[in-house]
Amino acid sequence: MAVRAAEPPVTVVPDAVPRSSLLAELARFSRRNTLAAMGGVVGVLIVIVALAAPLLAPYDPLKTDFRAMNKPPNAHHVLGTDQVGRDTLSRVIYGARTSLFVAFSAVILGTTVGSLWGVACGYLRGRFDLVSQRIMEILQAFPDLILAMAISMAIGTGLQAVIFAIAITRIPFGGRVIRSVALSIREMPYVEAGRASGGSALRIMLLHVLPQCVAPYLVLATTHLGVAIVIEAALGFLGVGVPPPTPTWGNMLADSITALVPPWWLAFFPGLAITVTVLAFNLLGDGIRDTLDPRLSPAFLRLMAGGRRR
Amino acid sequence: MRKYLARRAVYAVVTLLGVSLSVFVILRVLPGDPLVAILGVEGHASMKPDDRVRIMADLGLSAPLPVQYVHWLGDIAAGRLGKSFFRGDTVAALIAHRGPISAEIAVLALVISWLVGLPVGILSAFKPNSMPDGLARAMSVLFIAIPGFWLGMLIVLALLFWFGYKAPIIVVHAWQDPWQNFQIVIGPGIVLGLAQGAYIARMSRSCLLEVISEDFVRTARAKGLREMLVVMRHALPNALLPVVTISGVLLGFVLGGSVAVEQAFGVPGLGRALVTAVIERDIIVVQNLVLLYAVIFVAVNVLVDLSYAWLDPRIRYS
Repeated sequence: MAVRAAEPPVTVVPDAVPRSSLLAELARFSRRNTLAAMGGVVGVLIVIVALAAPLLAPYDPLKTDFRAMNKPPNAHHVLGTDQVGRDTLSRVIYGARTSLFVAFSAVILGTTVGSLWGVACGYLRGRFDLVSQRIMEILQAFPDLILAMAISMAIGTGLQAVIFAIAITRIPFGGRVIRSVALSIREMPYVEAGRASGGSALRIMLLHVLPQCVAPYLVLATTHLGVAIVIEAALGFLGVGVPPPTPTWGNMLADSITALVPPWWLAFFPGLAITVTVLAFNLLGDGIRDTLDPRLSPAFLRLMAGGRRR
Repeated sequence: MRKYLARRAVYAVVTLLGVSLSVFVILRVLPGDPLVAILGVEGHASMKPDDRVRIMADLGLSAPLPVQYVHWLGDIAAGRLGKSFFRGDTVAALIAHRGPISAEIAVLALVISWLVGLPVGILSAFKPNSMPDGLARAMSVLFIAIPGFWLGMLIVLALLFWFGYKAPIIVVHAWQDPWQNFQIVIGPGIVLGLAQGAYIARMSRSCLLEVISEDFVRTARAKGLREMLVVMRHALPNALLPVVTISGVLLGFVLGGSVAVEQAFGVPGLGRALVTAVIERDIIVVQNLVLLYAVIFVAVNVLVDLSYAWLDPRIRYS
């Protein structure tokens, strides 16, 4: 274990700013991190578009129209239509729904499970930690997309299967980051005080360690949203994601290249939607990370990318 | 050093055993019945009982699960990887035929990522918060966000419109026709390389900035060395270590990403073979290919760890 013993000096900043109103806090955040704030605004807009899809989409995303097949962008269909005359704009809007739902569910599920596991590892140490670390290492030995493909193949390619498959690939990241946080917190005097006054391990983990992990948890979740969206899209693109005709951005890209000469608007807009969304969430994640714990950044980047720590 | 090597090797073997066990559990145990995985629920329901028994025996699926697992490990050790359920090709032949293409793509991507990422990172760190730094950071943020397979699609589309590009259908190895082979692998290599290069640029920038604030760099500056020398000779070698590490980690992105990027370019590599196998539910092929990808990933990370120990005496002697 000595090989990976040197943990990054993870410091947890308790509420650094005195409590002010939420708005003032947001204003301060956006002054310091203009890009992150922009990412946040775009991200919120995309979430709103996804939620309000039925109100915003000009057409039914599944309705075919054989009089308007393969039409380039025009006045009736702003982003054109696909091979069976479905409106691209409506499909991109509804695609946001599926893609975001899958990404949010998978990240929340995976990161939460991973974080709880990480807290237990970091606090309990010992054999449990050792075995858990090996299991997480095994999970990380698979390239994300390939593990997700194999799992969704095994449990059937439905919406839940895809969510579950992506969630599993997120577990070790949550586990490792939160474990290192928990490791440093368990040495703090107030945790020792808790132990001394006879609190059970479970009680201390839940009441004293877990609350300190909220900030890194938020950072993790935001940073991994982008990754989850890309994995979901890749699965859809490869034809092993959420099954058609449900519009997802990945499915739309897969549909577009079945044509001999793929119409550019079918190949372009869904991909643009993916890129903008991922960009927004990544920028927001970076900003949140810098704000919540600037000292975490470089070591954190390494962890994010796969967790060899030194 | 020897002790370190031994310990690292033991960990790698344990990880690989765990990896093989999880592949087995995911693909053979989770679906309940492997034939359901192969034929789908409807296909499985419409099959006659004696067909079922015959196919199960054919695939070596009638034995109890632990026995199957041990058999599988034994087969791998003996180099027998089984064969495709639908095509009759052996998996070993598939790997030998398609593997080199994907390996070339991965190596090319790695080379491109260093060639692009490192200079950009150094340039950024030279003058942090300057115009070029801002541009470099914007580009790396952008290239991290763009999904490789989409970029690949767009490139293919552009080539199709302007040059009448056709996706390569057959495998051409480097030793058969280097020029044609290069045309097959260059596209995916560039796309994957740029995405990786973005991470490398980011990483080398932050590491270099971290190192530049250290005492020995101040000393080097104080004795009057030119900034160029300070950065290149004193700071860079120390900043490179984490960049080497991240390359190993990024290989995971390349391995996974190449599956989708190969599909986008229509390149007949191993990644496409895996996708085909997953779609056809060709369980033996999937099982062995997924294991292969994981083995490569683990092996590369062991190599990275070793190079790390070799580059940094502090780790070797700890």
